Amino acid sequence: MAIDLISYSLVPLFAALIIPFIPRKHRRITEIIANITLLSGIINLGYVIIYYLVLNDYTSYTSDAFTTLMLFTIYLVGMAITFFSTYYEVEKDTNFSSYYSLILVSVSAMCSLVMSRDFFTLYIFMEALSVCSFALITSDSKTFSIEAAIKYFFLTFPASVLIIFGISLLMINYGTFDFDTIKFTSMNFLTFVSLSFIILGFLIKAGIVPFHFWTPDVYEGSYSPVSAYMAGIVTKVGGIYAIIKIVMLLSSYGFGSNLSKLLLFTGFLSVFVGAIAATVQKNMKRMLAYSSISQMGYIILAAATFSPIGIIAAVFHLINHATFKTVLFLNSACVEKSTGTTNMDELKGLEHRMPWTSWTSIIALFSTAGLPPLSGFWSKLLIILALWQSGHIFYAVAALIASVFTLAYFTIMQKKVFFGKLPEKFNDIKEAKYQLLIPVVVISLIIIFTGVFFNRVFPYFERILS
Amino acid sequence: MDKTVLLAVLVPVIGAFTIPLFNRISKDLRNVMAVVIAASTFIFNVVLMQNAFLDGIRYVVSFPLGFDFILKLDPLSAFMATVSSLISLVIVIYSLDYISHYENQTEYYTMVIFFMGSMMGLVYSDNLIWMYTFWELTGFASWRLVGFFRGDKEIAKANKTVLVTFFGAVLMLIGIIDIYMTQGTVVISELKAKEITFLPATLILCGIFSKSAILPFSTWLPDAGVAPSTVTSLLHAAVLVKIGTFVYAKLFGTIFIVPESFSYMVLIITGITALVAGGAALIETDMKRIIAYSTISQLSFIFLGLASGSKLAFAGALVYILMHSIAKGSLFLCAGIVEQKTHTKDITKMGGLVKSMPLTALAFALSAFSVMGLPPFGGFFGKFFVFKGAIETNDIIVSILFFIGAILTMLYLSRLFYKIFLGSEKPNMPREGSSTMVASVLFLAFLGLVLGILITYPFDYASITTETMYMMGVNIQ
Repeated sequence: MAIDLISYSLVPLFAALIIPFIPRKHRRITEIIANITLLSGIINLGYVIIYYLVLNDYTSYTSDAFTTLMLFTIYLVGMAITFFSTYYEVEKDTNFSSYYSLILVSVSAMCSLVMSRDFFTLYIFMEALSVCSFALITSDSKTFSIEAAIKYFFLTFPASVLIIFGISLLMINYGTFDFDTIKFTSMNFLTFVSLSFIILGFLIKAGIVPFHFWTPDVYEGSYSPVSAYMAGIVTKVGGIYAIIKIVMLLSSYGFGSNLSKLLLFTGFLSVFVGAIAATVQKNMKRMLAYSSISQMGYIILAAATFSPIGIIAAVFHLINHATFKTVLFLNSACVEKSTGTTNMDELKGLEHRMPWTSWTSIIALFSTAGLPPLSGFWSKLLIILALWQSGHIFYAVAALIASVFTLAYFTIMQKKVFFGKLPEKFNDIKEAKYQLLIPVVVISLIIIFTGVFFNRVFPYFERILS
Repeated sequence: MDKTVLLAVLVPVIGAFTIPLFNRISKDLRNVMAVVIAASTFIFNVVLMQNAFLDGIRYVVSFPLGFDFILKLDPLSAFMATVSSLISLVIVIYSLDYISHYENQTEYYTMVIFFMGSMMGLVYSDNLIWMYTFWELTGFASWRLVGFFRGDKEIAKANKTVLVTFFGAVLMLIGIIDIYMTQGTVVISELKAKEITFLPATLILCGIFSKSAILPFSTWLPDAGVAPSTVTSLLHAAVLVKIGTFVYAKLFGTIFIVPESFSYMVLIITGITALVAGGAALIETDMKRIIAYSTISQLSFIFLGLASGSKLAFAGALVYILMHSIAKGSLFLCAGIVEQKTHTKDITKMGGLVKSMPLTALAFALSAFSVMGLPPFGGFFGKFFVFKGAIETNDIIVSILFFIGAILTMLYLSRLFYKIFLGSEKPNMPREGSSTMVASVLFLAFLGLVLGILITYPFDYASITTETMYMMGVNIQ
């Protein structure tokens, strides 16, 4: 574990432990504790990161840049979800005390996961995260969400078995779990099998094609802010992060070409299957879920190059994806709250009544499609450059062409939901409360500024390799 | 002067997003600010144009990996920026009246100014990545503007517009990355006189053709006619389709050395486009679609001049960019007046409007003469130089293709004018448009005439630009 950063993991854990002792009628206190905990964390981390971004001087920088950045993203999305949930009115039978506790525990688990420095700790916290998400999906106690939770359980927990099996084999082979001491000096059969199991497990957890079946159902069925939480950060940290970490470990040993081919192909499949499936969806949340699958494919493609720029691109896209997908899912939650549905065929012309939701969704979707100068463009450009430089020109071109599909399904979504004439039945619709818009607008601004000030942001990303 | 280049880009780009804020104060202030921003952009560009032949005026913000944000002044950029900001300014003034009956006005002004700003960024960018960036931003603005009326049909066409141009732009990005990987830089002035192969050139050409609506990417432009006339005017005359011609002139006329077969391919494709679009314009009955097809066929002439490999034709094409912008802007704005007053775009339902709308008819006729290429209108000189240069250097097939195209232009524009303004009168004759609108179109129409009479000034500028920038012996020669 990265001991110097451990407080970011312990503080939310303690807050989560306090919450069950608060009487249920004092719901407000629970919410305040949850918000304050995460807010203090994000102010702290934000100060560290913005300090260096603005000064552009890293001579006195001591922490692990990659970990700090991941912590910041986790806190950012966690904070957005908690704040959003506080003002997102829910049905009476929702269990608030456990809801905020679970969010805080999962934030803690994710922080520990990115701080872990050996496979076993990584595994432990990934399991803790999975259990929390399993419980979180059922937050609004509807039949849909329980169905989604069961699907999540049956389709992703077998992956845990694969991962622990692979880790055990690694232990047998090398006698250590530690990232620093484990030496992949030769790719013998046992190493190959163990790494295959681990990566397979994490691909399932991340919902990459062909293991994507659980994601649309889970994102569609679960409680709306939880969908944003799951899509925004949980599947990234619980699945993709470990793959990037393994790639970082392996890339320094100079082998992995077989692994590279495998990952490139799954990434390519994800990009296309996700994008094409998204164009035919009727439900907004389902479309976003498929879009998520497609974007995860880009991250895998970038990581699969095993090159420094590829790893930077993967991390950058992971963080961008966390921002824009959170915005889009929170937008869909706002739409659901205002109109009572996320079925796109029933929606129309909401921009006249919900301008903020509409414009933030436009920013987020153009960032997803890679429209310059938003942040998504730069990460996608880096991905393409990484693929091209490592000789995978076919995948580079395919990844670019796929962004046309991305823009296509998003313009379809805009046409059905926001862009257009307002039908009479929606005359009384109101924009979501301003408190619900604050996290969305803040993250949209982050998307714009990360893109426009890419020259400031990039030096920070260069440090994640050191 | 370095800062003026930055201002010419930043004032409209940032200024666009202050328009919703001014709208909070009052609608009039918003309209005034839109005109002020457009006018100041035009003034910056005029100042820049006077200094266009000075060397080394550039503004640099460094970005990693060689993606520096560089704005650089050169004669070609200053020319294009001045032309498009002038037309945009007239369109904004015309809009004050035209658009005042509709919803979403704030978004309209924001997007028009943003569109103009992106165009400025595009023409001054000295880095292919940033050129691509502004390229996409114009696509975004056109998406919102084409969907202005918010009907199902309009939104579908808006999506089509953005998807076709985005597809082309993605192909162009592949070409740009290929150049980045082979040449090691995407800074345009560092790429001067570098040879590039057929493939990246063709990929970039796909992007150019998608914006300029040349076959096979041409179908979105007539469809975009569902937008308000001011927007179509903006798309056709001032910004969107001219982006393609500008980038072609800049990259393939003054920067890269391309294979001969590439230029020849451009000539053949645009020659066929001129015929197809001319034929389509002859049978179409929707007023705005006819003018749209006319744009496609006239753009082919510009490409003929740019790709033919003769200096005279290149300078002629630059002159024709100016003259076509003015005339086509005016034609669409006239069509806007007619459409607003008659509530139809179908020319079979019109006739005899010259009696009730004499001034509009006059402006329309003058602009149509310019596009047809009748002396002494500006369009004549543009076309004349293009033809003269092209015939000197080119084989006979291309010349014949374009000659037939020119005859078609004359036919369909005469037919259009006859059907709308002459012919038998229909009942319920509409009245003349408002004074702001008529003044705008008359200004553009007479500007075309005056520039035709004073042709030496634009032609001198264009030929000096060509002398200083054109790559010798690059294309077919």
